[in-house]
Amino acid sequence: MAGFSAIQSAMSHDLQFKSGPGFRSAHFQAMASPCELLLDSDDPALVEQLARTAQDEALRIERKFSRYRDDNIIHRINHARGQPVSVDPETAALLEYADHCYRISDGLFDITSGVLRRVWHFDGSDRVPDAEVVETARQAIGWPRVDWHPPAIRLPEGMEIDLGGIGKEYAVDRTAQLLAQQTGASFLINYGGDLYVNRPRQNGHGWIIGVEQPGQHTDSGDINLASAAGESFELQQGGVATSGDARRFLLKDGVRYSHILNPLTGWPVWDAPHSITVLAGTCTDAGILATLAMLQGAGAEAFLDAQQVKYWALR
Amino acid sequence: MQLTNPPQVRRKLALATASLLGAVGPAAQAATADDWAIDTSVLYYSEDSRVTAIEPVVRARKAIGDDEYMTYRLVVDSLTGSSANGAIATSSPQTFTSPSGNATYTTPANTTPLDPTFLDTRVALNAEWEKPLSRYLKGFFAINASSEYDYTSLGVSATLARDFNNRNTTVSAGLSYNLDTIEPVGGIPDGLTAMPTTTSVQKSTLGSSDDKTVADLLLGVTQVIDRKTLMQFNYTYGMDDGYLTDPYKILSVVTGPSSETLAAMPYLYENRPDSRARNALYWKTVHQFNEDVINFSYRYYWDDWGITSHTLDARYRYEMGGGHYLMPHARYYLQDKADFYNYKLVDGNIPQYASADYRLADLSTTTLGLKYGIQLSNDSEFSVRAEMMTQQSEGDAPFPDVDATILQLNYSFVF
Repeated sequence: MAGFSAIQSAMSHDLQFKSGPGFRSAHFQAMASPCELLLDSDDPALVEQLARTAQDEALRIERKFSRYRDDNIIHRINHARGQPVSVDPETAALLEYADHCYRISDGLFDITSGVLRRVWHFDGSDRVPDAEVVETARQAIGWPRVDWHPPAIRLPEGMEIDLGGIGKEYAVDRTAQLLAQQTGASFLINYGGDLYVNRPRQNGHGWIIGVEQPGQHTDSGDINLASAAGESFELQQGGVATSGDARRFLLKDGVRYSHILNPLTGWPVWDAPHSITVLAGTCTDAGILATLAMLQGAGAEAFLDAQQVKYWALR
Repeated sequence: MQLTNPPQVRRKLALATASLLGAVGPAAQAATADDWAIDTSVLYYSEDSRVTAIEPVVRARKAIGDDEYMTYRLVVDSLTGSSANGAIATSSPQTFTSPSGNATYTTPANTTPLDPTFLDTRVALNAEWEKPLSRYLKGFFAINASSEYDYTSLGVSATLARDFNNRNTTVSAGLSYNLDTIEPVGGIPDGLTAMPTTTSVQKSTLGSSDDKTVADLLLGVTQVIDRKTLMQFNYTYGMDDGYLTDPYKILSVVTGPSSETLAAMPYLYENRPDSRARNALYWKTVHQFNEDVINFSYRYYWDDWGITSHTLDARYRYEMGGGHYLMPHARYYLQDKADFYNYKLVDGNIPQYASADYRLADLSTTTLGLKYGIQLSNDSEFSVRAEMMTQQSEGDAPFPDVDATILQLNYSFVF
């Protein structure tokens, strides 16, 4: 029990609470991102209870699905040396989802494409990898080569999966489900810029969300991010996610290589926007739509127009 | 890669997301979640002018470790109404003594005699422990107990399930053993002796209680056929030993093979063999279309009482969207009678074993039903099921049809 209370106090240590006009908020770190929960209530006990739930869930999902750990199901799958691994229902549901996304996107969304990170380092430099190196990495990609017969998954040797492309958005939606069981109050969950709002606030308004403006590029590749949020909107209900990061790219011979990689070629997507922010029914939907749009490159806006969703594309 | 005509994928995605977020309720998440998954239901079963049963059930399941669960189940049955006592309808009224021997009831002419003294409440408790024993081996261990005023049952079971072949094949083997004690009102009647027709005469008994054991061995294979299809094959061998007779059922004795005239000793208590070896082969297949699921099963049963039966069962789950679903259900059951089933007995020609229980006769049962369910939230669901059942005689000795209505309400939630 002593150990347990020590853990408890250590955990509350990571949680910070603030209050604003008519709402309270809690802040913590998870999934390598600042996470916050805003609650349309001035009940400190409630916000504390919900914040604990949120923090537990965010950390649980991070522990379970992070590819930076060696004690979870992702590690087991990626290090099974060609042997099948049986997965729990939650992992199975995520793999099924990834399978759907692969098919819907004609192969552009591929959770096996993470190996490309070994050859592409987007540090603003001009170190574009050799074509042969990229090609070698590309040959270890391809979701159809994975044996996925729920609940068992078998990766060919040398391949790996990474659920990072949906993990944070999934954590937001999962947390929202848990919080909805505990409160009827309006809340906003924000995990590193992936958001979800369950319902309008008691005053009938939503929460004000700022969308980052594109930076001004200088020839050196430096980015001056406009600190003033350029556009803001009121979110009453739904999920928001952003794909892209104006700060990660390569610049060589005047050509800017975005960090959005096409798994079918192994090369960056041509002429993708700097970032895309999508508003959809759930954070997961918003995240996938933003990612798929980025992968369309120049066709990102046309793709999103066809989806009839609200979005902001920054070029 | 540029698309001239970008596809509309938002709806497909929204569906996939909905199933992702609905796939695992918080209860099924990490074993550290202290959630109980609770299923509650109440079943109303009513036979036309006969038995009515009301059965509330509560089932609670909780994770106690990694892939390790405890499940508890409580069932309460209450039965009221009348049940066929086994005697035939005759052209004159008939009088029977109640099982206690302290009362009589009379059946009008040309009416199938029903014993109206039916009134019973059964309480059953069951606990199951599901535990992974190794990477590919899982164990299920259960105990159960049930009690009603004249009947108690205690049982244990153990099943091992092992995965093979990339977990596409699961082989199961299980054993279960039950010990039941029956203490009928008025004692255990001596089989094939006369039922008194007045309260002044006592029935001849063989003591106040008796027992039976029920042992079952199950062997099964579950096979993933493809990503959307699952099949299951089971073989069950069962052995019942002890008192297998229904102490409340009788047979009418007539004066000749084609006669309807009752003999001097008109009613005899039934008598069944004291052992029964049962076999069943079962095949089930589940196939998922895009969202809808079809579920079909066939069971062939035979035992050394001479009963053989076929059961066909089909269900189709139709997803209406928005968390609503409809599930039509059809079931057909066809049975060949037990060797010792007799609609009536002929005086002077009494066999060693005999029963007029219509449930041992040549019969068929047709059930048609519809279930409607709605997902109220990520981890609560409500459903209602209505079914009509008709049981009819398939033999030359026609017992009247038994029609029943079944209504069931279900509510599942997590807390």
